[in-house]
Amino acid sequence: MDTLVARYSRPTYTQNELFTAQEQEEFAAGSTPNLSLKFAMPPVAQPSAWLRAATDDRSNPHCPIKIAHGTTTLAFRFQGGIIVATDSRATAGNWIASQTVKKVIEINSDLLGTMAGGAADCQYWLAWLGMQCRLHELRHKRRISVAAASKILANLVYQYKGKGLSMGTMCAGVTKEEGPALYYIDSDGTRLAGNLFCVGSGQTFAYGVLDAEYRYDLTVEEALELGSRSILAATHRDAYSGGFINLYHVKESGWEKHGFTDTNPVFWKTKLEKGEFSNVTSDFSEEV
Amino acid sequence: MADRYSFSLTTFSPSGKLVQIEYALNAVNQGVTALGIKATNGIVLATEKKSSSPLADPSSLSKISLITPNIGMVYSGMGPDYRVLVDRARKVSHTGYKRIYNEYPPTRILVQDVARVMQEATQSGGVRPYGVSLLIAGWDEGILPEEEIEAKEGEEGKKLSGKTGGILKGGPMLYQVDPSGSYFPWKATAIGKSATTAKTFLEKRYTEGLELEDAVHIALLTLKETIEGEMNGETIEIGIVGPPAHHLLGVEGVEGAVGPRFRKLTPQEIEDYLTNL
Amino acid sequence: MSSPFSINGGACVAMVGKDCVAIACDLRLGLQALTVSNNFPKIFQYGDNVFLGLTGLATDVATVSDLFRYKVNMYRLREERQIAPRTFSNLVSSSLYERRFGPWFVSPVVAGLDPKTGQPFICGFDSIGCIDFAKDFIVSGTATEQLFGMCESLWEPDLGPDQLFETISQSLLNAVDRDALSGWGAHVYIIEKDKVTKRLLKGRQD
Repeated sequence: MDTLVARYSRPTYTQNELFTAQEQEEFAAGSTPNLSLKFAMPPVAQPSAWLRAATDDRSNPHCPIKIAHGTTTLAFRFQGGIIVATDSRATAGNWIASQTVKKVIEINSDLLGTMAGGAADCQYWLAWLGMQCRLHELRHKRRISVAAASKILANLVYQYKGKGLSMGTMCAGVTKEEGPALYYIDSDGTRLAGNLFCVGSGQTFAYGVLDAEYRYDLTVEEALELGSRSILAATHRDAYSGGFINLYHVKESGWEKHGFTDTNPVFWKTKLEKGEFSNVTSDFSEEV
Repeated sequence: MADRYSFSLTTFSPSGKLVQIEYALNAVNQGVTALGIKATNGIVLATEKKSSSPLADPSSLSKISLITPNIGMVYSGMGPDYRVLVDRARKVSHTGYKRIYNEYPPTRILVQDVARVMQEATQSGGVRPYGVSLLIAGWDEGILPEEEIEAKEGEEGKKLSGKTGGILKGGPMLYQVDPSGSYFPWKATAIGKSATTAKTFLEKRYTEGLELEDAVHIALLTLKETIEGEMNGETIEIGIVGPPAHHLLGVEGVEGAVGPRFRKLTPQEIEDYLTNL
Repeated sequence: MSSPFSINGGACVAMVGKDCVAIACDLRLGLQALTVSNNFPKIFQYGDNVFLGLTGLATDVATVSDLFRYKVNMYRLREERQIAPRTFSNLVSSSLYERRFGPWFVSPVVAGLDPKTGQPFICGFDSIGCIDFAKDFIVSGTATEQLFGMCESLWEPDLGPDQLFETISQSLLNAVDRDALSGWGAHVYIIEKDKVTKRLLKGRQD
């Protein structure tokens, strides 16, 4: 009887713990490697519901913790490889928290991931994916395929489905076996292969430009310009996208960075030299 | 049901007159004379306080009323009608102006509001026109810068001292309002029983560039011409629009508070003027 | 996020200088994240020296600015004079309080010079008409926090017209660059005794 009483007279929150007290202490001491898959859960009955109430601004507009959202990212396949381009703005509500976020994540020297949704989720899990890819290489003595890498990530986020992860990411890489390979993975568990994806709050604007001009046989120069121009369009119309254009070209030899360029000079150059964005005035003569 | 039988009392006669209004003017012309004189630095309103019996207590009777701190009013005609108009004028100066702009109405605006009330009584069902004419005197703050006023007056070759009144320049303004709802600005005028005599007298005595003290003097002289009873502090009523009367502020030490420009003279003050007449 | 005050976005700021005042606004009109227009000025003129800035719900900005156009026109006809900034501010206040239980979703800012004394005058309001008289600056819109930060650090007393223009422009431009819902260009008015200068500012277009 005493043992029964002892078992059930603990505070309620400890009953719901997913980890033993010893494990909890290990987290606190930092003795466990950081990339382990053990997360301290909030000491409440329904951690995922609690987290959603606290952080999901769509289900609760007054949520106390505003996770950085709002992005435009795009990637497309073409004959010369894959172009990956993103903006660089991070917002928390209407507050622009940063204009210099790196939303292209270099998983390793061959693979790129993009970041949309929760910045921390993307950063953490794509770093984790890099580790998995390296382990794959060590175990199998050859580079992982893009299909396999993207599937590792998709399976991982599926395990956490409903727990509040927020990611919309693209995995891009070129391998001998696959050629240019591009996958879209999101935190719902979706994994899609495709020629062309835009992700984030500015995706529609980027699609608008990209769909209009996209061809598979684009030259490298044309493709880079198209990626940049699509992001520029999105930063102009989407309040939550902006800052710098982060541009990458993925080839079989690995990825190549093509600059982190402020949108402001690019915008005015595009407007004044090409006559685009005619909705914006360029007449700043003084008025009375 | 009732409104089926409530016809307008003021109906056009075949000759195009509104005789009810003319009758109302007749009531005014039987009233005790009241007068007003505009000076460069203020205005004086004056009237006789006539009591029907020597037993009446004259100190309780008041024919000159404060409407806003800078505007006062006197009447000739029917006392009860006047008191209704005083209430309406005080109320409309708040509902129609102070509660909107947080400042009191300029004289002309108040005059127009009172005139509207009087006009409505000539065109509404079931009512009769007000049996009074009013003299409304007030001081306007104006919105033009001081230098600009002086420059303008310089151009026109007028005297540089004193304001001529009005919403723009600011200064004293004197209006008469009649039962029909029409109103006129005056330099000096009189209403009531001996209005004609008084006006003839004022025409002789009035000069441009009059000071308030002189105006009070002239007002008493004019009143003396027309008065029926004895003239003293009890039987004469005088209201002046002059410099801000800080001694009338209820609370002292409020920053930016300015005393009322309109005030009534005490019987003692009137007596003092009378002895110097 | 879906507050009527932050659906369309926008920012406005007014500042006092030496014998001058300035008022400035951004030009964005959006629907949440979508930028619909980059030519939606939020400053309206109601007299030689009287300016009103309106931020908040765009439909109310349009309606309220027209409502005051009507009220000020009626005032001018009735009184045969221009409305003074302080009188106009009291009109704004009483008009807003008239809608106490169903407010206009706007945050007005008034800037002007007193016609009689030439003294600078600025003030701001909440949506139901409480007046905030200020000696330095007034901010409103979705970038208020950012504007307060900029103004607190850049503003100083007795700035001349040119310095005031620089100060208000830098304050607005840098504030809206940290607000997702404001920006896309700006209008600046510098109000002096016998001169009003309006300038368009080139802002970031993202």
